[in-house]
Amino acid sequence: MRQRRLLRFHSLKRGRVRQTWNKHNLFNLLNYRNQLNTGRTLFQQKWAAKSVTRAYHGEHISEGKWERMFSRRLLSAVDMAPAYMARHDGSEQAAGRGSGKILSEDQERFVPRNGRGRDAKKMTPYMQMTFAPQERRLDVAIHRAMFASSARQARQFVIHGAVTVNGKKMKYPGYMLNPGDLFQVNPDRVMTATGLPKPPTLAARQKALKVKAQERAEQAAAAAEAAADETPASPSPKPSSPPKAKEPAEPISPEEAKKQEIAELRKIQDKTKWLISSSKGQLSAKHKIAIRSLQKQVKKAMSAAGTQKGDKSVDTVESLSTLLVTLQLTPVERKAEEAAAAAAAAETESYPDPVTEEEQDILRRLIEEEKTNPWDPSKPYMTPWRPRPFMAPFAFIPRYLEVNHKICAAVYLRHPVARPGKTEVPTPFNYATSQLAFNWYLRRS
Amino acid sequence: MPPRIGSSSSLPKKLLNCLDTTLPSSVPSSVPLRRPVTAALTASQQCLFSTSAPREATKPQRLFREWLKTSGKKFQHHDGNGPLYIGRLTDEGEENRTMPFPSNPAYVSEPVLSDAARETIWECVMVNKMPLKAVSAQFSVDIRRIAAVLRMKEIEKRMEAANMQMAIPYANTVEKMLPRVNLTKNERPFEPINDIHVHSYTMQQLFVPVSESREFTRSDAAKAFGGHILPPDSKMRIPELITLEKDIAKGVEPRVAERKFIAATAKHEAEFARRLKIESIKEEQNKIRVNSSRNVEFRFEKVNVDDVGRDGRARSGVGWRYGVPFNDRRRGAVKIPTSVE
Repeated sequence: MRQRRLLRFHSLKRGRVRQTWNKHNLFNLLNYRNQLNTGRTLFQQKWAAKSVTRAYHGEHISEGKWERMFSRRLLSAVDMAPAYMARHDGSEQAAGRGSGKILSEDQERFVPRNGRGRDAKKMTPYMQMTFAPQERRLDVAIHRAMFASSARQARQFVIHGAVTVNGKKMKYPGYMLNPGDLFQVNPDRVMTATGLPKPPTLAARQKALKVKAQERAEQAAAAAEAAADETPASPSPKPSSPPKAKEPAEPISPEEAKKQEIAELRKIQDKTKWLISSSKGQLSAKHKIAIRSLQKQVKKAMSAAGTQKGDKSVDTVESLSTLLVTLQLTPVERKAEEAAAAAAAAETESYPDPVTEEEQDILRRLIEEEKTNPWDPSKPYMTPWRPRPFMAPFAFIPRYLEVNHKICAAVYLRHPVARPGKTEVPTPFNYATSQLAFNWYLRRS
Repeated sequence: MPPRIGSSSSLPKKLLNCLDTTLPSSVPSSVPLRRPVTAALTASQQCLFSTSAPREATKPQRLFREWLKTSGKKFQHHDGNGPLYIGRLTDEGEENRTMPFPSNPAYVSEPVLSDAARETIWECVMVNKMPLKAVSAQFSVDIRRIAAVLRMKEIEKRMEAANMQMAIPYANTVEKMLPRVNLTKNERPFEPINDIHVHSYTMQQLFVPVSESREFTRSDAAKAFGGHILPPDSKMRIPELITLEKDIAKGVEPRVAERKFIAATAKHEAEFARRLKIESIKEEQNKIRVNSSRNVEFRFEKVNVDDVGRDGRARSGVGWRYGVPFNDRRRGAVKIPTSVE
């Protein structure tokens, strides 16, 4: 179903250009030919121009909303050169017969008449600014900053709560950015949107593995429970668990036992706290839930140990501590441990053949790359991260944004403006088409 | 209802005979061998449940697939050597490689600041303590962009210190795909830093009679367009640059003039900081802070009850008034915030 809709959206037959990075869209963009207006009434020309431009600009925005957003005031800016302004007060432009003296080419090169550089004589493409108000929208700006592969995907990011504006969560894709607003997207979302997707078979395999592991853990837990029920009086602690519970070698008083038990539980509690604080941002939601439930259990056990006396609580300490150990082993941690072990092994090993400098460089680069771009099956995208195909022809950042891709944040500096010969609104259409579209929307006011 | 084929009918058998590949020549010719049946024969090897032939690719689909294999192939994987746009042949016959949209020559992909350039800007301001205006003039980067770069660099450094997740492989790849500048000396100016907004009042044609002997300057023109229109000289973002150029035009040594420029921008910045401080102190004086026993701080501010206006709906009013219903749930009322502080 989804595939069908996507095919229609990027239909090769209709050849609409859309705001996406799709390869079909690239083909459509390549084959796009300017609108032919001969033999059409003015209304037909405007209608056609409006429909083709709106298919690209905010196709997900309803027509009424866009009409309200539309502004007939088109913004532009001119560059004023301080060197010119310091030497002239502008009266030379009215010299002679009223429109300035004619300068020779050499003179003009030395002092440009209006001080605006070489593009000054070019026309300012005002009509290409028709859809400038849309560039203020949060979802469009996210797409323009290259954080999402389409404006629709950017919209989804906002709705799903992955975007903040000035540090606060913003859930409205239609939020109009103000100059100076900083927006930031969750890096995982950006990497998913711009990276290669996981092959479906791999994802399915990993999911199956996860389910299997869960089942096994459940079985183990059930078996342990059964064992604990069988021998409640004589618990046999495993020597491998780090916070070792002391084996009652000699009979101790129940008061002392209780104290010891509480101390053990406190240790576990401290460790869970450390686990949460040390691995901020690395734990998955499921993991966090598990840790929280463990904390609750510990609390319960502590209060129970404080009030009632009994031998059963010793094995609660035991089971809780083993649970803590399993929780500690996140994929990231496991990986770090493995890496440390490998590094230690590499240090002790002696190299049989001398490695050339080139090889060393390559190795160093690979190790560095592995550090910044590791294999991590817990990510929703293919790891190590690689860009999605057909991304480069769509890679450009308009000047009204300043983007920091590392932290997936961007600042909306100012509203887009037209300058002599240049426009800041990325639009695939020629001047005439944009002009016709502009005239279509003028009818409202 | 059309008559059904009974079990005694011979037709299915005949059809079965038809499907048999080793067709005996003695089969009666009353059952013609039509195309769909032969198509089903080939298709049946892959797809047992369907007897229809797969649909043929349309012309656009065929062209698309051909393009993917030929000229479209270079766009698939980026080789890491700079931008790769569709481009267009210019009138002179050269290929313009900065145009992402072949039909729109007015939009070109303009370079962005590289990571090294952003680091340089951060160092100039945060380590060397240069005034923002001076940095802007030195690198020809808009002062608002300088501020944005600093703001995001600070966030980046904080995230790095806190060991938070960053999109480093993505950033490296994107930087290779974009045209970029390193802010070295030999590059062209990055962007205009003293551009002024074109006021709509100044877009009309005016006929103002003036005497021939009069010097009609920029400020006179501004006055002619409307009383509130400012001349470009007072709209400049870095007016100190004009003073610098005037000094150079007068014959002051460039180095001395530059030093004077930096001093002037530093003075302006200090003055601005002082004003901000005074404002914040004033605001603080209007507040009364009370620490409660529950680690909660209460801040009391003086407000005027008459601020709410006659209908109790004025924007500057504080608090909820009895009998004045909110209309934020009314149909059609826009709930999207207009600004985030």
